[in-house]
Amino acid sequence: MEKERTHAKTLKIGRITWIALIGVLILLVAPFFIQSPAFFQLMILILWYAYLTTSWNLVGGFAGVLPLGHATFAGIGAYTSSVLFIHYGLTPWVGMFAGALLAAIVGVIIGAPTFRLRGAYFALATIAICESLRVVLENMQKFLGFDINGARGILLPLKGHSPLDYQFLDKRYFYYIILVMLAIIFYITYRIARSKLGYYLVAGGEEKEAAEALGINVAKCKLIAMAISTFFTALGGTFYMQLVHYIYPRGIVSLDLSFEIAFIAIIGGRGTLLGPIVGAVLLVPAAELTRTYLGGSYEGVHLMLYGAVLMAVMLFKPRGIMEPLEALYRWVLRKFSLQPVIQTDRSV
Amino acid sequence: MDIMVTTIINGILMGGVYGLTAMGLTLIFGVMKVINFAHGSFLMAAMFLTYYLFQLTGIDPYLGLVITLPLLFAFGYYTQKVLIRPVFKIERDVREPISVLMLTAGLWIFMDAFALALFGAFYKTIRTPYKGAVLHLGDVIISLPRLYAFLTTVILAILFYVFLKKTRLGRAIRATGQDRDAARLMGINIDRIYNVAFGIGIAIVGVAGAVLMPFYYVHPVVGVVFDIRAFIIVVLGGLGSIPGALLGGVIIGLVESLVAQFITATWTEGIIYAIFISVLFLRPEGLFGFKAEW
Repeated sequence: MEKERTHAKTLKIGRITWIALIGVLILLVAPFFIQSPAFFQLMILILWYAYLTTSWNLVGGFAGVLPLGHATFAGIGAYTSSVLFIHYGLTPWVGMFAGALLAAIVGVIIGAPTFRLRGAYFALATIAICESLRVVLENMQKFLGFDINGARGILLPLKGHSPLDYQFLDKRYFYYIILVMLAIIFYITYRIARSKLGYYLVAGGEEKEAAEALGINVAKCKLIAMAISTFFTALGGTFYMQLVHYIYPRGIVSLDLSFEIAFIAIIGGRGTLLGPIVGAVLLVPAAELTRTYLGGSYEGVHLMLYGAVLMAVMLFKPRGIMEPLEALYRWVLRKFSLQPVIQTDRSV
Repeated sequence: MDIMVTTIINGILMGGVYGLTAMGLTLIFGVMKVINFAHGSFLMAAMFLTYYLFQLTGIDPYLGLVITLPLLFAFGYYTQKVLIRPVFKIERDVREPISVLMLTAGLWIFMDAFALALFGAFYKTIRTPYKGAVLHLGDVIISLPRLYAFLTTVILAILFYVFLKKTRLGRAIRATGQDRDAARLMGINIDRIYNVAFGIGIAIVGVAGAVLMPFYYVHPVVGVVFDIRAFIIVVLGGLGSIPGALLGGVIIGLVESLVAQFITATWTEGIIYAIFISVLFLRPEGLFGFKAEW
């Protein structure tokens, strides 16, 4: 029992800050040493997935439910900011917040009835919303008067290098933007994990009845988590749009992306701070390699890897890859006796 | 008018197959309280099995049930025994086994991607002698393969219902679903019951795959269509209810064929999802108020 409770959430504040600071520092200076565009593309993808999964983790990890349709919100973000940009020339820097707000509202609307029911209902509802949004987008040429071109998708009008329009020719800008975004969502998660809300969420996720008996409004806490999570996922959607300039319904509002997001977080370690990032660092490059070599007619085969790894993790390390990594970390500390004599996090 | 009747009949016939898929899902949920996300993938596996049986040896899908049914049962039985049980055990006392949901979701994605790698992304169909056969009732046209599929569904549903109500094993399955601790105290080996229930659920979906093959196509992600429909159906009919699954299936089949006939085929999915979401919001316990059998 004690072993199970040694959750990554109990990582000491000092340690996690150090890890984060060193990580950010390395990532900040990396572009000065590495010039290869392919490498940048990969790095941006890794950071993007890490960002999305960290957002997912707020509700999927801490709130103890299983959202399997987060691509919905990325899609809402990408479509909203782009449509506003195309029609009103509104810069995506502002438009992305409109998309994010819309996504948060949709998220709360999905969560409100389903959080009260069994967890399976919520998972099913998120899948259904994701699929239905895709069907709607694919079948409509105009949505509320905005051109969305059905299944053909929308193309962003290119402005060349135009920072005010969130358009850059150099990939390095995107690299830094997503790095900052990841840092922000990481910090928010970190604060929430340590706040009353975080403890309420974990309590409500693990023992709903017990938490409610203590007077915690579990459903409300989950809704707040859902709103924050979907808000940031939508910002990630806009980022993706600015990066690739083109989206079509199946390309973003897909179950594939939804599952990728959820699986990376679960494999890394749901409900842990570093889990989603570790998951993205390990899985995205592997998936990209499979995609590169098996692409074309075998689109989607890279998901085999995700499925297999996910099952293995569930079977052997249900808390995710973070668990053995932390054990390794502790072992290294002990080996080189860097650990203080009294183990504070054992006493929990 | 005849088009209307034909459409309705076709919808009901197709709905029977949806109901069959959902029946396996609802059984597994009723007993284990787990949504088997990989359900459609098992359907896909059954369809490929039927397809290759027919292509390689010429065995008719209905005759082939002698082979597919036990194979799918074993597939389900051992999936539960080897993959799901260890994870399930950890969460035995948890009311909502989320890890098991995730495991089956992983299995879903794995099986679909595996089939894609193995069989390629092509649509495959078989040509049985009765493939295009129809039955004329006045001006109403009924497709025979669909009629056979529907009849099989009805027979199987009745057999299954009797099995659950009358046999010793059926009672043990229901008892485990109602209260696993009490069932264990009564001397029921609940681990075995889980294996068997999962096996039966997959065997039922295997039958659905076999009877679909004469008039449908198979490709690696065909399961997703049925998967999502099955999820919707079990919620419509009430999670855990067998008559609910069949009725829900018929409703979805009807909606689908009516919308395709009178509005446009591309919107069927959208309308089905709209129904699902409104049921989820307004009557999450299911449309008909059937009590779960367990």
